[in-house]
Order: sequence, then C-alpha cells, then structure tokens
Amino acid sequence: MKIKCLTILFVLCILSSCAPLSPNEKTLDKFSAYSFDYFDTVTTVSGYAESQEAFDEIANSVLADLGEYHRLFTIYHRFEGMENLCTINELANGVHRTVTVDRRIIDMLMYAKDMYEKTNGRVNIAMGSVLSIWHDYREMGMSDPASAELPPMDQLTAAAEHTDINCLVIDEESSTVTLTDPAMKLDVGAIAKGYAVEMVAQRLEEQGVTGFVLNVGGNVRTVGAKGNGEKWVVGIENPTDNEEKPYLAYLGLAGEALVTSGSYQRYYLVDGKRYHHIIDPDTLMPTEGFTSVSILTGSSADGDALSTALFCMSFEDGLALIESMPSTEAMWVFHDGREVTSSGFDTYRTK
Amino acid sequence: MDQNQNIPTPASPDGRGDHQGKDVRRGRNDIIFISALLLILAIIGLGFFLFRKEGSSVTVEVGGQVYGEYSLSRDTVVDIATGDGELNRLVIRDGKAFVETATCPDGICVGHRPISRMGESIVCLPHQIVITVTDGVDEGPDIVV
Repeated sequence: MKIKCLTILFVLCILSSCAPLSPNEKTLDKFSAYSFDYFDTVTTVSGYAESQEAFDEIANSVLADLGEYHRLFTIYHRFEGMENLCTINELANGVHRTVTVDRRIIDMLMYAKDMYEKTNGRVNIAMGSVLSIWHDYREMGMSDPASAELPPMDQLTAAAEHTDINCLVIDEESSTVTLTDPAMKLDVGAIAKGYAVEMVAQRLEEQGVTGFVLNVGGNVRTVGAKGNGEKWVVGIENPTDNEEKPYLAYLGLAGEALVTSGSYQRYYLVDGKRYHHIIDPDTLMPTEGFTSVSILTGSSADGDALSTALFCMSFEDGLALIESMPSTEAMWVFHDGREVTSSGFDTYRTK
Repeated sequence: MDQNQNIPTPASPDGRGDHQGKDVRRGRNDIIFISALLLILAIIGLGFFLFRKEGSSVTVEVGGQVYGEYSLSRDTVVDIATGDGELNRLVIRDGKAFVETATCPDGICVGHRPISRMGESIVCLPHQIVITVTDGVDEGPDIVV
C-alpha cells in the first residue's frame, strides 16, 4: 500500500512539474527591440517584463530618449528648429560664433572636456577637422573600393592646427557654446554614444526599472540584474574567427557598463590594408597597437571615452591610467591574439 | 508487504477463502493501477514528443520587421532581399548560420563567424539586417560586444 501511495505521489509530482504555473505567480519573459536610427549603429534594448506591452512601454521610452540625444549630438545632420552639434560646427565658421544650445549639449561638452584632462588629451572632441577628412575618405573608399585612398598627410597636418580644445568655450550660465577658432570642428564620436546610453540608463534607474540592458554599437549598460536576479552575461567577441573560442571572456554584470572598441568594427581597405576609425591625435593615422580594447566600469560614458583613450595610448600608459581609477577594469587584445587584463578584471568573469 | 499477506497464517484458521478473494481483487486492482500508470506516462511522453524543441533556429529581421525564421537543423540558402537590388545571402550549414555574400559596402556581416548559440547575432548595418539565434538549445551569452 505504501508503495502505491509513493508511486501516486511520484506521478503527481511529475504531473505538477509539467503543469503551467498558477496565474498569481508572475513570470518575467525576456524581450528585445532593435533600432538602426541612432548614432550610425545598431541599438538593442533587452529586458525582462511581464508582457510585451510592459516591455514596449519601457523600450519605446528608451528609444525615444536615445533618438533625442542622437539628434542633439550628431555632427552629420541638422534638424528643423533645433541647435545641435552640427549647427555648432556650421555656425562657428560664421560671424556669430556663439550658439545657445540645449542643456544636455552643455553637460556633454563639459564632460568631454573633463575626459580630455583625465586622459591626457587622448580623447579630444576638438579633432573634428582631422576626423572629418578621414570620414570623407573612408566613405569614398567604401562606396568605391577600387579608387580608395588615404588622405594626404599635409591635409591632415594642416587640419591638426585647429584642434585646440581650449578654443571650445562653454558658458554654463547662459547655456552657450563658442568656438574661438573658426577653423575648428567638434567630433563627439568617441563620447556621445556612451554618454547618451549612460543618461538614458540613469533615468531608468531613477524610475526604479531593473532587468534591462542597452547596447548601442558595443556600448553596453546594464540596468540592474536580469529578471531572475542573476547577472547579465556579456561575451566579448573574439575578433579572430575561432570556433573553439568564440568569446574572449564572459563577464557577469548587474548595473555596470562594458564598452568595447575594435579596429575590426569600422574600417576601409586601401591596397588591401585595413584603416580603421580610431585616429591617433599625434600621428593623425589609425592607431596600430591593439585589435580591441574593452572597458568595464560603472558608467558607459566613461567606458566609451576610456576605450578610445586606451586605443591611443601605449599599453603601459593605459594600464597605469586604469589602475588609478576605482572600479574600472580593462582588457587589451593585441594583433597577435594576446590578451592582457587589468588587476581586477578577472573578478567579473563568470566562467 | 503484499507478498507476506499471500502466505496463509495459522492465526486465521477460516480465513483462507477470504484471502483468496481479496487476492484476486487486489490482482485486478494492481493491473488497473499499473495500466493507468503506463497510460499517464505514455501521455506525458507523447506530450514531450509533440512539444519538443525543434532545435535552434535563426530569425531574420530587416529594418525591425521579421523577414523570416529558419531552422538550423536543415541546410539551406536564403537570399535576403532588402530592396534596391541589395542582397545578403544567408547560408545555414551543419547547424550554423553565416552570411556568404552581401552587396553592402563594408562586408562586416560576411566576415562574421558562423553563429549557432542562443542570442548570437550577425548584423548588417548598411542593410539594417539582424540575424539572431532564437529558440536555441545551446546557451550563449546574454549580450555580445
């Protein structure tokens, strides 16, 4: 009799494990949304929510916010009835070099100036005149690979005369920006994405949202842990095609940011050689030291700026900079496939 | 326990017939019980068989709209047409998906290694294509950078 009872109990156990959860036990499902509209890259918003509708509400607000930052920070497009980085660059060439801009632009530019100091000038948003030459040659080279060529060095050095960040004058009080050198241009490509992602993530945190992650072209910012309380697992892609080791590292994040800059992400070919998009402020040429640099830190704005900065530094200088910053870790990948990490990087590894 | 009860005990002198009747009934009950058990297990088994995961598949999205879903367990070639004569050729072979050729200017999607783990994706930025492994068996990371 006991055996029968036990058997029945056993069968009931199996059955109950198959049965759907009762409706008052809410389960969170994972949803994702993509957009190609912002910062010239792909944006992914993922999150755990009770329903598609609940997810969409948050994701749509995230995308709307990112869209707003994109319009403010883009140097390539102007929009009706709004001053942005593009109009700052245009107006700086005219007589009225002072432009009144949105508070969010002021904050971002002040942050950029701060990062210029912290990175010894390796991140310089005043390099626009140099970077725009590279941008034009890259665009031409990509649309017509047969006639792709490098920008002439004398053109680059002439442009480099107009990259003094002190010529960017910000008046916080009146919310105005002045470029005192009319030939200078701003390019916030090394900062704007990560900064915008950070701002949007912080707003979500203020609203008490958790279980979300934003990824704008390699700028990842987690907002809380996953829906089940576990950490998000972020894989750093192996730039070399290796089936045995598709990811260089698996890192567990819950609230932190991970930003990877890679020389394999945006480039063009000239005579079979790759020329990527991160330009060394000294040589005015694409940096040569690393295949990729990843930064793990609290803010995706810092992560974005530091990943560019480290690309433009020797490994030793970069390591010293990272070790001097609290809760900031980095991983360098050299062209021969060698990986080196900062002292606390391994504590984030999940396997 | 049941076996012990089958042995006649001297303590019950006239209970033999009674015991036999019970045994028959118990035997029949056992058969019904075991049959029912087997039937339930068979139904569960059938359920697992019918609702089992069809292995991994990839979802192709173009400009945010689902373009198609393709099983990774069947070798196939899909030409993803994004209009204006632009084309990305998705190839599924040996349980992995990759972009073989594309008319996009950078060719980064073509250079991407084949994907097969849940959550992995190949993106073609110029053509706004996202190819993601969904319903994966093999768990990948949540996010890839």
